[in-house]
Amino acid sequence: MATVDMAGIRKTFGPSVALEDFSLSIASGELVCLLGPSGCGKTTALRILAGFERPDAGTVVVEGRDLSNDPPEKRQFGMVFQDYSLFPNMTARQNIDFGLKVQKRSAAERKEIIDRMIAVTALEPHADKFPHQMSGGQKQRVALARAIATSPKVLLLDEPLSALDAKVRETLRDEIRRLQLEIGVTTVFVTHDQHEALAIADRVGVMSNGRLEQLAPPRELYENPANAFVASFIGTVNKLPAEGLDDGRWRVLGRSVLSTVTAAPGATNVAAVRPEQVAVDHADDGTAHVQSASFLGPITRVIADDDTLGRVIADIISADAVGISPGQRVRLRLRDDVSDIVLIGEE
Amino acid sequence: MTSQSRFRPANIVKWVFLIAVGLYFFLPMAAMARFGFQSVPTALLTPDKLFTGWSFSGLWTAITDAHMVSGMKTSLILVVLAILLNLVLLVPLAIVTEVRNPRLRPYLTALTLLPWVIPPIALVVGVAATFRATVPWFLASVLSLVPFYALWSMPFTYRALDAGLQAINARTLYEASRSMGASFWTIIFRVLLPNMRASMVAASTLTAAMVLGEFAFASLLLKNTLPTEMVIYQAKNPRGGLAFAIFIMVLTAVAIGLVVRSLRRQGINFNATGI
Repeated sequence: MATVDMAGIRKTFGPSVALEDFSLSIASGELVCLLGPSGCGKTTALRILAGFERPDAGTVVVEGRDLSNDPPEKRQFGMVFQDYSLFPNMTARQNIDFGLKVQKRSAAERKEIIDRMIAVTALEPHADKFPHQMSGGQKQRVALARAIATSPKVLLLDEPLSALDAKVRETLRDEIRRLQLEIGVTTVFVTHDQHEALAIADRVGVMSNGRLEQLAPPRELYENPANAFVASFIGTVNKLPAEGLDDGRWRVLGRSVLSTVTAAPGATNVAAVRPEQVAVDHADDGTAHVQSASFLGPITRVIADDDTLGRVIADIISADAVGISPGQRVRLRLRDDVSDIVLIGEE
Repeated sequence: MTSQSRFRPANIVKWVFLIAVGLYFFLPMAAMARFGFQSVPTALLTPDKLFTGWSFSGLWTAITDAHMVSGMKTSLILVVLAILLNLVLLVPLAIVTEVRNPRLRPYLTALTLLPWVIPPIALVVGVAATFRATVPWFLASVLSLVPFYALWSMPFTYRALDAGLQAINARTLYEASRSMGASFWTIIFRVLLPNMRASMVAASTLTAAMVLGEFAFASLLLKNTLPTEMVIYQAKNPRGGLAFAIFIMVLTAVAIGLVVRSLRRQGINFNATGI
């Protein structure tokens, strides 16, 4: 268990800048997800933390100790890779034992730890199997058990679920979170899957082009995105014009709402409006017409084409969507319970 | 498959082609085998004599010939030494390149192809001139072939080792081991080498096959190895010489087959080793 402080990290590979002024502070026992499209620098950040890459500038401090110049084998971290990286010549049990042997623990202690690891990852039936005899999910559970067996200060997960199929991915995701909370290890989880990140992280760091755009708890990230990139990367947004009113409020989709930015009369801005904040009313004189209405169970996703705003996506409760069908004229408005709105500046 | 699709023109072409290539490949060998193992002159071979006069006597004479025995001994020693020299040189090189300097990999791949670009005659003349002027005793020994053979089989060996490293994802294994605190030597001996067994066996098999069939270097350096002895022997006993050639070919094929099978049994895919 340890705090992690990465400060002012810069890393270039030849002419391309992988990380620029990257800083990240993680509390002890916290799970932080680094989320972003491929090439955003999230894996580079993780590899610098692990010690596999040396930053051009900046420091890595763990538990108050500067590790910037320590090689990976001196950092006492646990790491799980996307491609399992189990030793093919060793059984699950021997894989878990590897790090313990390196740490020169006693035989009795090793056996006790291995048994416990196998129990917590539910690997009992597979303990004496070789990697090529196991499924992807089982292999990744062995890799996880192996990484935490050595009681690492920090657990690093590099897209651990990306190679697995959807169902296993979800189960293992929850299992990772449960284990992480149980042993309370500080964890950095790199992923490009926003659902994964939002589901298990204490805080999510959204990255793009080598920069940390926003670091916040999942809910805040969704409800209060710091900028246009975060708004459109997390979930779906409609970017709609906002017009400043005399009383400092903004007019969006015909309704006057508040924002953290006070409006100057006549100012213009762009509001990030979530699909679930948009209501759709039948109106023969409406300015929009329905392009499609997809029933998704509890909600129905309506895509409408507005004469002036263009394409707008609305998620409405399925019960309210009865009778809405493609081709109809409709009026779009903000739902009545929306009182304030996120502005993301001019596009 | 329906009978209609089986007789599509494309299929017929495919079969005609396969049979033609098969005949081109196997007919000479079948003729060789007949000549080597059947003591009936070709001019007198009629259908009723097809099954008479078959024996291993020619092969036996060849195998027991003193020159052939000494050639076999020399070649086996050369095989063992060439394999050892190759593995000692290339295993560490391939490992260090893959896990520490992956950017050098394309250059090394190109470099290890060089022996095939330089013809043996140039290699022998160049190296022999250098050695004759500096360490003449070295060229006197039959063991002077070892470095040539190691060099000459390097393209096979390096490729087999490199493919093996790629197949086990050596770089990730290296990083995983390091994150668990393992030292460089621990990783080499406990993780990488045990998992390179298949590719090392593949590399060695290829080196052995190459050394057992190499004629140019041995002949140019005036050494008596199995291939040069075979050429000489064939001149005085064509039947026995050809029987022996077929015997060596079958032996090599069986040996490679056994290696592949034993690797498969251990769950190691031979295809992943670059062959």
